[in-house]
Amino acid sequence: MAERPLPHWPGLIGTVASVAGLGVAGYLTYEHFTGSSSLVCSDKGIVNCLAVTTSSYAMVAGVPVAVLGLIFFAVMLVLQLPVMWRWLNPIIRRARLAWAVVGLGTVIYLLYAELFEINAICLWCTAVHVLTLVVFVSTVFGTLSTAPLGEELDQPAAYARRDD
Amino acid sequence: MSQKNQQKNQRPSSKSPGAAHSTDRRPAAGRKFNERQAAKQQAALVVARRRRNQRIGLGSVVLVLVLVAVLVVAKLSGGGNPSSAASVTSPPAGTPVPAAISGKLTSIPLSTLVAAPTSGLVTSPQAISDPKLSAAGKPDLLYIGAEFCPVCATERWAMYVALSKFGTFSPQPGRIHSAVRDGNIPTLTFYNTTYTSPYFTFTPVETTTNEPDGNYYVPLQSPTAAEQKLWVTHTNESFPWLDFGGKIELTSAQFNPTELVGQSFTNIASMVGNNSTQIGADIDASARVLVQTICSALTDNQPASVCSGMGHG
Repeated sequence: MAERPLPHWPGLIGTVASVAGLGVAGYLTYEHFTGSSSLVCSDKGIVNCLAVTTSSYAMVAGVPVAVLGLIFFAVMLVLQLPVMWRWLNPIIRRARLAWAVVGLGTVIYLLYAELFEINAICLWCTAVHVLTLVVFVSTVFGTLSTAPLGEELDQPAAYARRDD
Repeated sequence: MSQKNQQKNQRPSSKSPGAAHSTDRRPAAGRKFNERQAAKQQAALVVARRRRNQRIGLGSVVLVLVLVAVLVVAKLSGGGNPSSAASVTSPPAGTPVPAAISGKLTSIPLSTLVAAPTSGLVTSPQAISDPKLSAAGKPDLLYIGAEFCPVCATERWAMYVALSKFGTFSPQPGRIHSAVRDGNIPTLTFYNTTYTSPYFTFTPVETTTNEPDGNYYVPLQSPTAAEQKLWVTHTNESFPWLDFGGKIELTSAQFNPTELVGQSFTNIASMVGNNSTQIGADIDASARVLVQTICSALTDNQPASVCSGMGHG
Protein backbone atom coordinates (compact mmCIF):
# COMPACT_ATOMS: atom_id res chain seq x y z
CA MET A 1 0.00 0.00 0.00
CA ALA A 2 1.46 3.34 -0.99
CA GLU A 3 2.08 5.73 1.90
CA ARG A 4 0.54 9.17 1.62
CA PRO A 5 2.90 12.12 1.85
CA LEU A 6 2.45 13.86 5.24
CA PRO A 7 1.13 17.42 4.96
CA HIS A 8 3.48 20.21 5.98
CA TRP A 9 0.90 22.74 7.09
CA PRO A 10 0.21 21.43 10.64
CA GLY A 11 3.85 21.84 11.62
CA LEU A 12 4.12 25.18 9.88
CA ILE A 13 0.96 26.73 11.35
CA GLY A 14 1.53 25.22 14.79
CA THR A 15 5.12 26.39 14.98
CA VAL A 16 4.36 29.94 13.83
CA ALA A 17 1.38 30.26 16.19
CA SER A 18 3.38 28.82 19.11
CA VAL A 19 6.27 31.21 18.51
CA ALA A 20 3.83 34.13 18.39
CA GLY A 21 2.10 32.87 21.54
CA LEU A 22 5.44 32.50 23.25
CA GLY A 23 6.22 36.12 22.39
CA VAL A 24 2.94 37.54 23.69
CA ALA A 25 2.98 35.38 26.82
CA GLY A 26 6.57 36.44 27.40
CA TYR A 27 5.57 40.08 27.16
CA LEU A 28 2.71 39.57 29.63
CA THR A 29 5.07 37.72 31.97
CA TYR A 30 7.55 40.58 31.79
CA GLU A 31 4.76 43.06 32.53
CA HIS A 32 3.55 40.93 35.42
CA PHE A 33 6.92 40.98 37.13
CA THR A 34 7.54 44.66 36.46
CA GLY A 35 4.27 45.89 37.90
CA SER A 36 2.52 46.28 34.54
CA SER A 37 3.90 49.78 34.46
CA SER A 38 4.53 49.78 30.70
CA LEU A 39 1.61 47.67 29.48
CA VAL A 40 0.60 49.04 26.09
CA CYS A 41 -3.17 48.85 26.41
CA SER A 42 -6.22 50.87 27.33
CA ASP A 43 -6.94 51.01 31.04
CA LYS A 44 -10.43 52.43 30.90
CA GLY A 45 -13.76 50.93 29.95
CA ILE A 46 -14.35 47.35 28.89
CA VAL A 47 -10.92 47.03 27.28
CA ASN A 48 -8.69 47.22 30.31
CA CYS A 49 -5.57 45.07 30.30
CA LEU A 50 -4.42 46.36 33.67
CA ALA A 51 -7.69 45.36 35.32
CA VAL A 52 -7.30 41.83 33.98
CA THR A 53 -3.58 41.31 34.48
CA THR A 54 -3.68 42.58 38.05
CA SER A 55 -6.92 40.89 39.07
CA SER A 56 -7.19 37.92 41.40
CA TYR A 57 -7.71 35.76 38.28
CA ALA A 58 -4.21 36.60 37.07
CA MET A 59 -2.83 34.01 39.48
CA VAL A 60 -3.60 30.30 39.75
CA ALA A 61 -2.34 28.60 42.90
CA GLY A 62 0.20 31.36 43.32
CA VAL A 63 1.50 31.05 39.76
CA PRO A 64 0.89 33.97 37.40
CA VAL A 65 -1.35 33.01 34.48
CA ALA A 66 1.14 34.73 32.18
CA VAL A 67 3.80 32.25 33.30
CA LEU A 68 1.40 29.37 32.69
CA GLY A 69 0.87 30.75 29.18
CA LEU A 70 4.61 30.87 28.67
CA ILE A 71 4.96 27.25 29.76
CA PHE A 72 2.03 26.23 27.57
CA PHE A 73 3.49 27.74 24.41
CA ALA A 74 7.03 26.54 25.17
CA VAL A 75 5.83 22.94 25.41
CA MET A 76 3.50 23.40 22.47
CA LEU A 77 6.29 24.79 20.32
CA VAL A 78 8.29 21.61 20.82
CA LEU A 79 5.27 19.46 20.02
CA GLN A 80 4.44 21.50 16.92
CA LEU A 81 7.86 21.39 15.30
CA PRO A 82 7.66 19.84 11.80
CA VAL A 83 10.00 17.06 12.88
CA MET A 84 7.54 16.15 15.64
CA TRP A 85 4.67 16.06 13.15
CA ARG A 86 6.68 13.71 10.95
CA TRP A 87 7.16 11.44 13.94
CA LEU A 88 3.96 9.41 13.98
CA ASN A 89 4.48 8.09 17.49
CA PRO A 90 0.96 7.76 18.93
CA ILE A 91 2.10 9.04 22.33
CA ILE A 92 3.39 12.26 20.79
CA ARG A 93 0.26 12.66 18.71
CA ARG A 94 -2.02 12.18 21.71
CA ALA A 95 0.09 14.39 23.96
CA ARG A 96 -0.02 17.21 21.39
CA LEU A 97 -3.78 16.92 21.05
CA ALA A 98 -4.30 16.70 24.82
CA TRP A 99 -2.04 19.72 25.38
CA ALA A 100 -4.04 21.71 22.82
CA VAL A 101 -7.27 20.75 24.58
CA VAL A 102 -5.81 21.83 27.93
CA GLY A 103 -4.89 25.18 26.41
CA LEU A 104 -8.32 25.64 24.92
CA GLY A 105 -10.03 24.74 28.20
CA THR A 106 -7.93 27.32 30.01
CA VAL A 107 -8.84 29.90 27.39
CA ILE A 108 -12.55 29.23 27.88
CA TYR A 109 -12.16 29.59 31.65
CA LEU A 110 -10.18 32.82 31.36
CA LEU A 111 -12.66 34.22 28.85
CA TYR A 112 -15.44 33.51 31.33
CA ALA A 113 -13.46 35.24 34.07
CA GLU A 114 -12.86 38.29 31.89
CA LEU A 115 -16.48 38.61 30.78
CA PHE A 116 -18.30 37.75 33.99
CA GLU A 117 -15.98 38.20 36.95
CA ILE A 118 -13.55 40.96 36.02
CA ASN A 119 -15.80 42.62 33.47
CA ALA A 120 -12.86 43.72 31.40
CA ILE A 121 -11.12 42.44 28.31
CA CYS A 122 -7.36 42.38 27.92
CA LEU A 123 -6.33 42.69 24.28
CA TRP A 124 -2.98 40.99 24.84
CA CYS A 125 -4.73 38.13 26.60
CA THR A 126 -7.19 37.95 23.70
CA ALA A 127 -4.25 37.65 21.31
CA VAL A 128 -3.02 34.70 23.35
CA HIS A 129 -6.51 33.19 23.31
CA VAL A 130 -6.76 33.50 19.53
CA LEU A 131 -3.33 31.94 19.05
CA THR A 132 -4.32 29.09 21.35
CA LEU A 133 -7.45 28.58 19.26
CA VAL A 134 -5.38 28.56 16.07
CA VAL A 135 -3.04 25.99 17.56
CA PHE A 136 -6.02 23.90 18.66
CA VAL A 137 -7.69 23.95 15.24
CA SER A 138 -4.42 23.23 13.46
CA THR A 139 -3.66 20.38 15.85
CA VAL A 140 -7.09 18.79 15.48
CA PHE A 141 -7.04 18.87 11.69
CA GLY A 142 -3.35 18.01 11.56
CA THR A 143 -3.83 15.00 13.81
CA LEU A 144 -6.75 13.76 11.77
CA SER A 145 -5.06 14.28 8.43
CA THR A 146 -1.86 12.55 9.48
CA ALA A 147 -3.47 9.57 11.18
CA PRO A 148 -1.88 6.35 9.86
CA LEU A 149 -4.28 4.54 7.56
CA GLY A 150 -4.03 1.29 9.47
CA GLU A 151 -5.51 2.90 12.58
CA GLU A 152 -8.98 3.18 11.12
CA LEU A 153 -8.71 0.64 8.30
CA ASP A 154 -7.59 -2.45 10.16
CA GLN A 155 -10.20 -4.74 8.69
CA PRO A 156 -9.94 -3.70 5.03
CA ALA A 157 -6.15 -3.59 5.34
CA ALA A 158 -6.19 -7.24 6.42
CA TYR A 159 -8.15 -8.13 3.32
CA ALA A 160 -5.70 -6.25 1.19
CA ARG A 161 -2.77 -8.08 2.74
CA ARG A 162 -4.32 -11.46 2.07
CA ASP A 163 -4.81 -10.48 -1.54
CA ASP A 164 -1.19 -9.61 -2.03
CA MET B 1 -6.89 -28.68 -2.19
CA SER B 2 -3.77 -26.65 -2.66
CA GLN B 3 -2.66 -23.99 -0.16
CA LYS B 4 -3.49 -21.29 -2.68
CA ASN B 5 -7.01 -22.54 -3.06
CA GLN B 6 -7.42 -22.70 0.72
CA GLN B 7 -6.49 -19.03 0.95
CA LYS B 8 -9.02 -18.12 -1.68
CA ASN B 9 -11.75 -20.05 0.09
CA GLN B 10 -11.12 -18.08 3.30
CA ARG B 11 -11.90 -14.80 1.55
CA PRO B 12 -15.42 -13.63 2.33
CA SER B 13 -17.56 -13.89 -0.75
CA SER B 14 -21.20 -13.90 -1.62
CA LYS B 15 -20.48 -15.91 -4.69
CA SER B 16 -21.66 -19.51 -4.96
CA PRO B 17 -19.28 -22.51 -4.80
CA GLY B 18 -19.73 -22.76 -8.53
CA ALA B 19 -18.40 -19.28 -8.97
CA ALA B 20 -15.39 -20.18 -6.83
CA HIS B 21 -14.80 -23.16 -9.06
CA SER B 22 -14.93 -20.79 -12.02
CA THR B 23 -12.24 -18.63 -10.40
CA ASP B 24 -10.02 -21.65 -10.16
CA ARG B 25 -10.27 -22.05 -13.87
CA ARG B 26 -9.18 -18.45 -14.48
CA PRO B 27 -6.79 -17.54 -11.62
CA ALA B 28 -5.19 -14.53 -13.31
CA ALA B 29 -8.46 -12.85 -14.23
CA GLY B 30 -9.90 -13.52 -10.79
CA ARG B 31 -6.91 -12.05 -9.05
CA LYS B 32 -7.13 -8.90 -11.11
CA PHE B 33 -10.81 -8.65 -10.38
CA ASN B 34 -10.20 -9.00 -6.65
CA GLU B 35 -7.41 -6.45 -6.74
CA ARG B 36 -9.68 -3.97 -8.46
CA GLN B 37 -12.39 -4.66 -5.93
CA ALA B 38 -9.96 -4.20 -3.06
CA ALA B 39 -8.64 -1.00 -4.59
CA LYS B 40 -12.17 0.31 -4.95
CA GLN B 41 -12.91 -0.63 -1.36
CA GLN B 42 -9.72 1.05 -0.22
CA ALA B 43 -10.47 4.20 -2.17
CA ALA B 44 -14.01 4.30 -0.81
CA LEU B 45 -12.75 3.86 2.73
CA VAL B 46 -10.16 6.58 2.30
CA VAL B 47 -12.82 8.95 1.02
CA ALA B 48 -15.13 7.97 3.87
CA ARG B 49 -12.37 8.50 6.39
CA ARG B 50 -11.51 11.86 4.92
CA ARG B 51 -15.14 12.91 5.21
CA ARG B 52 -15.35 11.60 8.75
CA ASN B 53 -12.17 13.48 9.68
CA GLN B 54 -13.59 16.64 8.20
CA ARG B 55 -16.75 16.18 10.23
CA ILE B 56 -14.81 15.57 13.45
CA GLY B 57 -12.52 18.54 12.84
CA LEU B 58 -15.26 20.91 11.84
CA GLY B 59 -17.47 19.64 14.65
CA SER B 60 -14.85 20.33 17.30
CA VAL B 61 -14.14 23.79 15.91
CA VAL B 62 -17.83 24.61 15.67
CA LEU B 63 -18.31 23.38 19.24
CA VAL B 64 -15.59 25.73 20.47
CA LEU B 65 -16.92 28.67 18.50
CA VAL B 66 -20.45 28.02 19.78
CA LEU B 67 -19.13 27.93 23.34
CA VAL B 68 -17.34 31.25 22.88
CA ALA B 69 -20.40 32.73 21.18
CA VAL B 70 -22.62 31.62 24.06
CA LEU B 71 -20.31 33.36 26.54
CA VAL B 72 -20.25 36.56 24.52
CA VAL B 73 -24.02 36.58 23.93
CA ALA B 74 -24.68 35.86 27.60
CA LYS B 75 -22.43 38.77 28.49
CA LEU B 76 -24.02 41.14 26.00
CA SER B 77 -27.50 40.22 27.20
CA GLY B 78 -26.54 41.11 30.75
CA GLY B 79 -26.33 37.58 32.04
CA GLY B 80 -24.41 36.48 35.09
CA ASN B 81 -24.88 36.87 38.80
CA PRO B 82 -24.94 40.57 39.58
CA SER B 83 -24.24 40.00 43.26
CA SER B 84 -20.92 38.35 42.54
CA ALA B 85 -19.99 39.96 39.25
CA ALA B 86 -18.58 43.29 40.21
CA SER B 87 -18.07 45.70 37.36
CA VAL B 88 -14.73 47.27 36.55
CA THR B 89 -15.89 50.44 38.21
CA SER B 90 -18.98 51.36 40.12
CA PRO B 91 -20.73 54.70 40.47
CA PRO B 92 -18.96 56.83 43.10
CA ALA B 93 -22.03 56.62 45.33
CA GLY B 94 -22.26 52.91 44.72
CA THR B 95 -25.37 50.95 43.90
CA PRO B 96 -28.21 50.75 46.42
CA VAL B 97 -27.96 48.04 49.01
CA PRO B 98 -31.12 45.98 49.56
CA ALA B 99 -32.98 47.21 52.64
CA ALA B 100 -32.79 43.77 54.19
CA ILE B 101 -29.00 43.87 54.11
CA SER B 102 -28.59 47.45 55.33
CA GLY B 103 -31.20 46.74 58.00
CA LYS B 104 -29.21 43.75 59.18
CA LEU B 105 -25.87 45.59 59.20
CA THR B 106 -27.28 48.48 61.22
CA SER B 107 -28.77 46.28 63.88
CA ILE B 108 -26.08 43.78 64.81
CA PRO B 109 -26.65 43.20 68.54
CA LEU B 110 -24.08 44.79 70.83
CA SER B 111 -23.79 41.46 72.61
CA THR B 112 -22.59 39.92 69.35
CA LEU B 113 -19.94 42.60 68.95
CA VAL B 114 -18.80 42.10 72.53
CA ALA B 115 -18.60 38.34 72.07
CA ALA B 116 -16.50 38.56 68.92
CA PRO B 117 -13.01 37.08 69.35
CA THR B 118 -10.23 39.57 68.67
CA SER B 119 -7.63 37.03 67.59
CA GLY B 120 -7.93 38.13 63.96
CA LEU B 121 -7.25 41.80 64.64
CA VAL B 122 -3.82 43.06 63.70
CA THR B 123 -4.11 46.81 64.22
CA SER B 124 -5.72 48.94 66.89
CA PRO B 125 -6.44 52.65 67.37
CA GLN B 126 -3.68 54.72 68.93
CA ALA B 127 -3.85 57.81 71.12
CA ILE B 128 -2.79 61.13 69.62
CA SER B 129 -2.61 64.54 71.22
CA ASP B 130 -3.92 66.98 68.66
CA PRO B 131 -6.13 69.97 69.35
CA LYS B 132 -9.76 68.93 69.61
CA LEU B 133 -11.22 68.13 66.20
CA SER B 134 -14.81 69.32 65.95
CA ALA B 135 -17.48 70.39 63.50
CA ALA B 136 -20.83 72.13 64.06
CA GLY B 137 -20.10 72.28 67.74
CA LYS B 138 -19.65 68.54 68.11
CA PRO B 139 -16.61 66.29 68.20
CA ASP B 140 -15.76 65.12 64.71
CA LEU B 141 -14.80 61.75 63.35
CA LEU B 142 -12.72 62.40 60.25
CA TYR B 143 -12.26 59.58 57.80
CA ILE B 144 -9.97 59.90 54.79
CA GLY B 145 -9.94 57.04 52.37
CA ALA B 146 -10.49 56.18 48.73
CA GLU B 147 -12.88 53.94 46.90
CA PHE B 148 -10.11 52.04 45.09
CA CYS B 149 -8.38 51.25 48.37
CA PRO B 150 -8.75 47.63 49.55
CA VAL B 151 -7.74 48.42 53.12
CA CYS B 152 -10.41 51.12 53.29
CA ALA B 153 -12.89 48.66 51.78
CA THR B 154 -12.12 46.26 54.59
CA GLU B 155 -12.53 48.77 57.42
CA ARG B 156 -15.74 50.34 56.07
CA TRP B 157 -17.76 47.24 56.97
CA ALA B 158 -16.93 47.67 60.63
CA MET B 159 -17.32 51.44 60.40
CA TYR B 160 -20.85 51.09 59.05
CA VAL B 161 -21.81 48.65 61.80
CA ALA B 162 -20.27 50.81 64.53
CA LEU B 163 -21.49 54.21 63.32
CA SER B 164 -25.03 52.87 63.06
CA LYS B 165 -25.04 52.49 66.85
CA PHE B 166 -24.79 56.25 67.31
CA GLY B 167 -26.73 57.70 64.41
CA THR B 168 -28.18 57.15 60.97
CA PHE B 169 -27.06 57.43 57.36
CA SER B 170 -29.23 59.04 54.72
CA PRO B 171 -29.18 57.66 52.16
CA GLN B 172 -27.65 54.40 53.23
CA PRO B 173 -24.13 53.83 51.90
CA GLY B 174 -24.09 52.31 48.41
CA ARG B 175 -22.39 49.11 47.43
CA ILE B 176 -19.03 49.40 45.66
CA HIS B 177 -15.82 47.46 45.49
CA SER B 178 -12.18 48.33 45.72
CA ALA B 179 -10.42 48.62 42.37
CA VAL B 180 -10.40 45.39 40.41
CA ARG B 181 -6.63 45.61 40.29
CA ASP B 182 -6.58 46.19 44.05
CA GLY B 183 -8.34 43.11 45.31
CA ASN B 184 -11.82 43.86 43.99
CA ILE B 185 -13.12 43.75 47.58
CA PRO B 186 -16.87 44.33 47.94
CA THR B 187 -17.72 47.08 50.38
CA LEU B 188 -19.76 50.22 51.02
CA THR B 189 -18.93 53.82 50.26
CA PHE B 190 -19.59 56.85 52.42
CA TYR B 191 -19.53 59.16 49.40
CA ASN B 192 -22.76 61.15 49.03
CA THR B 193 -24.17 59.97 52.33
CA THR B 194 -25.09 62.16 55.25
CA TYR B 195 -24.58 60.88 58.74
CA THR B 196 -26.63 62.33 61.59
CA SER B 197 -25.90 61.72 65.25
CA PRO B 198 -26.77 63.67 68.38
CA TYR B 199 -23.28 62.99 69.73
CA PHE B 200 -20.72 63.73 67.03
CA THR B 201 -20.25 64.53 63.36
CA PHE B 202 -18.81 62.20 60.81
CA THR B 203 -16.74 63.65 57.95
CA PRO B 204 -15.95 61.08 55.27
CA VAL B 205 -13.56 62.03 52.48
CA GLU B 206 -13.29 59.51 49.65
CA THR B 207 -10.41 60.98 47.70
CA THR B 208 -10.79 58.89 44.53
CA THR B 209 -13.22 56.57 42.81
CA ASN B 210 -12.23 53.02 41.97
CA GLU B 211 -11.84 53.93 38.29
CA PRO B 212 -8.23 53.65 37.14
CA ASP B 213 -6.75 56.75 35.57
CA GLY B 214 -3.30 55.93 34.29
CA ASN B 215 -1.27 54.71 37.22
CA TYR B 216 -3.74 56.12 39.76
CA TYR B 217 -7.47 56.75 40.06
CA VAL B 218 -10.05 59.34 39.12
CA PRO B 219 -10.18 62.01 41.86
CA LEU B 220 -13.43 62.30 43.84
CA GLN B 221 -13.24 64.43 46.99
CA SER B 222 -10.54 66.60 48.51
CA PRO B 223 -9.89 67.13 52.19
CA THR B 224 -9.84 70.71 53.43
CA ALA B 225 -6.47 72.31 53.96
CA ALA B 226 -6.72 71.68 57.72
CA GLU B 227 -7.69 68.06 57.18
CA GLN B 228 -4.92 67.64 54.64
CA LYS B 229 -2.39 69.00 57.11
CA LEU B 230 -3.47 66.58 59.81
CA TRP B 231 -3.50 63.71 57.37
CA VAL B 232 0.01 64.45 56.13
CA THR B 233 1.30 64.92 59.64
CA HIS B 234 -0.03 61.63 60.93
CA THR B 235 0.21 59.27 57.97
CA ASN B 236 1.92 61.04 55.10
CA GLU B 237 -1.30 60.61 53.15
CA SER B 238 -1.90 56.89 53.52
CA PHE B 239 -5.32 55.23 53.57
CA PRO B 240 -7.46 54.78 55.51
CA TRP B 241 -7.06 57.32 58.25
CA LEU B 242 -9.56 57.88 61.03
CA ASP B 243 -9.16 60.77 63.44
CA PHE B 244 -11.43 60.44 66.48
CA GLY B 245 -11.78 64.08 67.58
CA GLY B 246 -8.02 64.64 67.67
CA LYS B 247 -7.67 62.12 70.50
CA ILE B 248 -7.27 58.76 68.80
CA GLU B 249 -6.31 57.66 65.30
CA LEU B 250 -6.61 54.49 63.28
CA THR B 251 -4.22 54.20 60.37
CA SER B 252 -5.19 50.92 58.75
CA ALA B 253 -7.82 48.24 58.62
CA GLN B 254 -8.01 46.24 61.80
CA PHE B 255 -7.84 42.88 60.05
CA ASN B 256 -6.20 41.53 56.94
CA PRO B 257 -7.98 42.64 53.74
CA THR B 258 -7.00 39.45 51.94
CA GLU B 259 -9.69 37.68 53.96
CA LEU B 260 -12.29 39.47 51.85
CA VAL B 261 -10.70 38.89 48.45
CA GLY B 262 -12.89 36.68 46.29
CA GLN B 263 -15.95 37.10 48.51
CA SER B 264 -19.18 38.53 47.16
CA PHE B 265 -20.92 41.46 48.80
CA THR B 266 -23.80 39.24 49.85
CA ASN B 267 -21.48 36.63 51.34
CA ILE B 268 -19.66 39.18 53.46
CA ALA B 269 -22.90 40.81 54.56
CA SER B 270 -24.29 37.43 55.55
CA MET B 271 -21.25 36.73 57.74
CA VAL B 272 -21.41 40.00 59.66
CA GLY B 273 -22.90 39.21 63.05
CA ASN B 274 -21.85 35.57 62.79
CA ASN B 275 -18.82 35.13 65.02
CA SER B 276 -18.42 31.51 64.01
CA THR B 277 -16.98 32.68 60.69
CA GLN B 278 -13.55 34.28 60.55
CA ILE B 279 -14.76 37.20 58.44
CA GLY B 280 -17.83 37.76 60.60
CA ALA B 281 -15.78 37.59 63.79
CA ASP B 282 -13.18 40.02 62.46
CA ILE B 283 -15.74 42.57 61.28
CA ASP B 284 -17.68 42.28 64.54
CA ALA B 285 -14.54 42.61 66.65
CA SER B 286 -13.41 45.60 64.58
CA ALA B 287 -16.81 47.22 65.02
CA ARG B 288 -16.62 46.68 68.77
CA VAL B 289 -13.24 48.41 68.92
CA LEU B 290 -14.65 51.32 66.92
CA VAL B 291 -17.67 51.59 69.21
CA GLN B 292 -15.39 51.59 72.25
CA THR B 293 -13.18 54.23 70.67
CA ILE B 294 -16.11 56.44 69.74
CA CYS B 295 -17.53 56.11 73.25
CA SER B 296 -14.27 57.15 74.85
CA ALA B 297 -13.08 59.78 72.37
CA LEU B 298 -16.24 61.34 70.98
CA THR B 299 -19.38 60.78 73.07
CA ASP B 300 -18.20 60.71 76.62
CA ASN B 301 -19.67 57.21 76.90
CA GLN B 302 -23.04 58.26 75.58
CA PRO B 303 -25.51 56.79 74.99
CA ALA B 304 -25.24 54.50 77.94
CA SER B 305 -27.30 51.87 76.15
CA VAL B 306 -24.42 51.53 73.71
CA CYS B 307 -21.32 52.38 75.69
CA SER B 308 -21.99 50.67 78.98
CA GLY B 309 -20.78 47.16 78.91
CA MET B 310 -18.57 47.72 75.88
CA GLY B 311 -15.38 48.27 77.90
CA HIS B 312 -12.92 51.00 77.13
CA GLY B 313 -11.49 51.71 73.74
